[in-house]
Amino acid sequence: MTLADYARDHAVHAAVVLVFFLYPPVNGALESSPLAAETAAFLPGITFMIAVLYMGLFAMSFDFVSGYTGYLSFGHAAFYGTGAYFVVLAANGQIPGIPGGTPFMITLLLGALLAALLALVIGSVSFRLTGVYFAMITLGFAQVIYELIRSWGYVSTNPQEGATIGGDGLAIGVPYVDALSLRVGRLTGTSVENLLGLGIDVSATVVSYYALGAVVLASYFAMQRILHSPFGRVMVAIRENEERARAVGYPTYRFKLAAFAISGFFGAVAGGIFAAYARSVSPDNSYFFLVTADALITTIIGGFGTLAGPLFGTAFHQWLEDVLSTESGGLATYIREGVPATVLETDVFGLSVELFVNTALAGRAPLYLGIVFVLFVLFVPNGILGTVRDRLGGTVGKRLPERLRRYRR
Amino acid sequence: MSATALSLGVADPAPLLATGGAADGLRTAVRVLVEGLGKAAVYFTIAVGLTLVFGLMGVLNFAHGAVTMVGAYLGGLVLVLVVGSGTGTLATIGVFFAAMAIVFAVTTAAGSLIELKLIRPIYDRTPTYQILLTFGVSLIIEEVARIVLTLRGIQPDPQWQAPMGTAPDVLLGRTDFLGIAVRRLYLFEVLIGGVVLVAVWLFLTRTLYGLYIRAGSEDTEMVQALGIDVRRAFTVVFGVGTGLAAVGGVLLMWDPIWGPSVLLSIDVLLYAFVVVIIGGLGSFRGTVVAAGIVGIADSVTTWLFTTGVVTFSGLSEVTIFLLLVGMLIVRPQGLYGVEEVGGH
Amino acid sequence: MSVLEFEGVHTYYGESHILQGLDLTVEDDEIVALVGRNGVGKTTTLRTALGLTPPRRGTVRFKGEDVTGREPHEIAGGGMGWVPEDRRVFAHLTVAENLRVAAHAAADPDARIGEAYDLFPALERFADKEAGDLSGGQQQMLAIARGMLGDNDLLLVDEPSEGLAPQIVSDVVEALRAASADTTMVLVEQNFRLAMDLADRFYLVDHGVVVEEGDTDGVTSEDERIRRYLTA
Repeated sequence: MTLADYARDHAVHAAVVLVFFLYPPVNGALESSPLAAETAAFLPGITFMIAVLYMGLFAMSFDFVSGYTGYLSFGHAAFYGTGAYFVVLAANGQIPGIPGGTPFMITLLLGALLAALLALVIGSVSFRLTGVYFAMITLGFAQVIYELIRSWGYVSTNPQEGATIGGDGLAIGVPYVDALSLRVGRLTGTSVENLLGLGIDVSATVVSYYALGAVVLASYFAMQRILHSPFGRVMVAIRENEERARAVGYPTYRFKLAAFAISGFFGAVAGGIFAAYARSVSPDNSYFFLVTADALITTIIGGFGTLAGPLFGTAFHQWLEDVLSTESGGLATYIREGVPATVLETDVFGLSVELFVNTALAGRAPLYLGIVFVLFVLFVPNGILGTVRDRLGGTVGKRLPERLRRYRR
Repeated sequence: MSATALSLGVADPAPLLATGGAADGLRTAVRVLVEGLGKAAVYFTIAVGLTLVFGLMGVLNFAHGAVTMVGAYLGGLVLVLVVGSGTGTLATIGVFFAAMAIVFAVTTAAGSLIELKLIRPIYDRTPTYQILLTFGVSLIIEEVARIVLTLRGIQPDPQWQAPMGTAPDVLLGRTDFLGIAVRRLYLFEVLIGGVVLVAVWLFLTRTLYGLYIRAGSEDTEMVQALGIDVRRAFTVVFGVGTGLAAVGGVLLMWDPIWGPSVLLSIDVLLYAFVVVIIGGLGSFRGTVVAAGIVGIADSVTTWLFTTGVVTFSGLSEVTIFLLLVGMLIVRPQGLYGVEEVGGH
Repeated sequence: MSVLEFEGVHTYYGESHILQGLDLTVEDDEIVALVGRNGVGKTTTLRTALGLTPPRRGTVRFKGEDVTGREPHEIAGGGMGWVPEDRRVFAHLTVAENLRVAAHAAADPDARIGEAYDLFPALERFADKEAGDLSGGQQQMLAIARGMLGDNDLLLVDEPSEGLAPQIVSDVVEALRAASADTTMVLVEQNFRLAMDLADRFYLVDHGVVVEEGDTDGVTSEDERIRRYLTA
């Protein structure tokens, strides 16, 4: 394959990466433009974009096994939680055999391997079941671990609240080479002043965004390669008709186990970079069922069985969170500041507009996410990316360049 | 108000710790058993609707817990509005039953509507989509509940204390039962659970719709081929299942361990799953037995922790989810389920 | 007026094309046998008539009315009964309850069930027993009785002798004769002799179409026009 072919095949990938890459400077430029208020209200801030990265990776890892083999991994939070807790405990020197100060990239990898091992253990009994029963047994396993971690005094003095990382920011990059590493975390991350002498300052948050983005990108390509390999084709064969896949001689049980382990691995990577950035972890934001549910929702919206779709679904989710949050601008603030007081105090059916904004908009992302989710399940069952692929008749990466060429002629 | 709730929530360990020979041991065992039955009644009530719906329709209703949560609030609302400081004990209990009836009627209607408008269009898809849809519905219900509560100035969590305060004094104390001090609330819960059990059992065995449901749980297509509109039976059963979920909520309203809070939604859902899977998805008898097993396991492990035999605070929850996992490993179809493991 | 008519019916199971333009006509009061090898579409023909597996193309008429695409319960409720392959009795319901489900539309269900007991006395003895505990022959009786209870004008019977001992089969044949006294019947039966014995006319089906038809009188499986479709 020539370089040109390669470039054409990955043109769409490159475009998406470019959008993500250019987002912080564009967003920054807009914030100091006359559209500052609108930017704050309608464009997600960098912290939300960081959540897109780690939650998007987690959702992709969920889709990797659930969307491609058809087995709903309802206990997927177990892997995310394992990655997150491992990183936090390792950073605090609480894991036997791993001295404090071991580079984050190494502990991240070890945590992910542990999660893959956990997936093998859970999968070895769970893959004897199918359908609802598989979903329930994986959920059961995850809940057992959740309850254990909530009461495990070794984690911290208050295990229900989880644990935090003391010390320096964790670094993403080449282990033991400071020059090739970036520390992450809103307060502990590397910040760059006067980048390359261009007079551009890059905040710690933005540096974290790029560092996490690199991990997500690498993970995405790894999973994408696997799905496009013969191994991935067997996964799809299992989804389409497991009996037939077995009949033509594939040891489907082993394939499912391996797919589960890989998906657990990347689920843990997502949890690990989340913990490194957030510098803390709690049972409820890592091991709990609702974390899996989050991935499930964004996967359906983005496109079940599309791998990249969940990232877009997560982007939509985080955009909704940002627009409806009151933390950093958001729609509610925009209306409150932009709309005259007389309008705000107008009564509609006994409720003032202001009260409506405060209760039905501010912080209500889950409501609208739920509504959008139900509408997708009913009317767009293939999700965003799945539907686009159906329309184009193939993956966007393959079909879009062909279409464009046709128009050019 | 909150003080009584607190003293109810934390079992006082003193009488449990007093070990004085075999008689005391026996007494403790009976107390743990009675408490287990009280918990079993709660588990049964929150799970039975789920099992009916799955049995007939093959739909695992993820909105079940959300409806229970709504039921707890609606029931609480009725009690808070009607019961005052001067209301007598019998009158309060009368209001409690009236609240159950009202909540059942309202939520049954709402459930039927959800089945007609949202679930019916997607029966021809894989079961995954029905799970997803009901899960989405539960998200919406929870958020609407949060909005309404916030507008009324009530904290969505922790529990709404006002309805707990309407519980008559009679239910708050302990009663002497064969020389054993048994918490009366547990006896009340056993009573209500028994009423629900008998009512559902009569519905299933003595009504034509009950007959359709039992036949349809075995073979939906055959029932259709006998000229019965199974879709209409689906609507009725989903409605009744929803109504039963809400009745469970009314029962939980006075229980300090549960009580009305938006978080009830997910808690109830997870526990209801455990019960119906251990019993066998779709089996009424299985749900009864499994609720008993989970209830007793819960009270025994709670007792082990409160007496200090085991210092691990999550023992009860871990045990319950381990029961789920263990059952799925050993016997995936559950105690009384039909053997067709996870057919899609 | 014909009771049942198929006109160029095409039915699919997923992507498998099962009925490939099947035509047949069943007249009032006759017993029609569908014969042919396994997997040629006999059961699918019955399922298509009932609307359980609706046709993609073609027309199904029941008592002169076009019922193509109607809901199964509407078609069944209009007077079409089904005695399915493997009997499919409700195993955890009692015999009486099985019959009660079938008699749901009758003005006086108990009286109708009483009539069924008169026809099949064995069922009355086991009225309170769970249907799953009955023997194969008894379950077949129950399935036939259940198919008759809806005051049906047409009874579709699928493989009634399958898996039964020879002496039980004769009981089942008697039951079918009794049942056919006042209904039209379409019978799918592997046992060729039995089918010819019971039926007035036959259709020989192969690859989803009718390849032979005629009166059953004197027809044996040794006839060359029959034999080549029955042997593998």
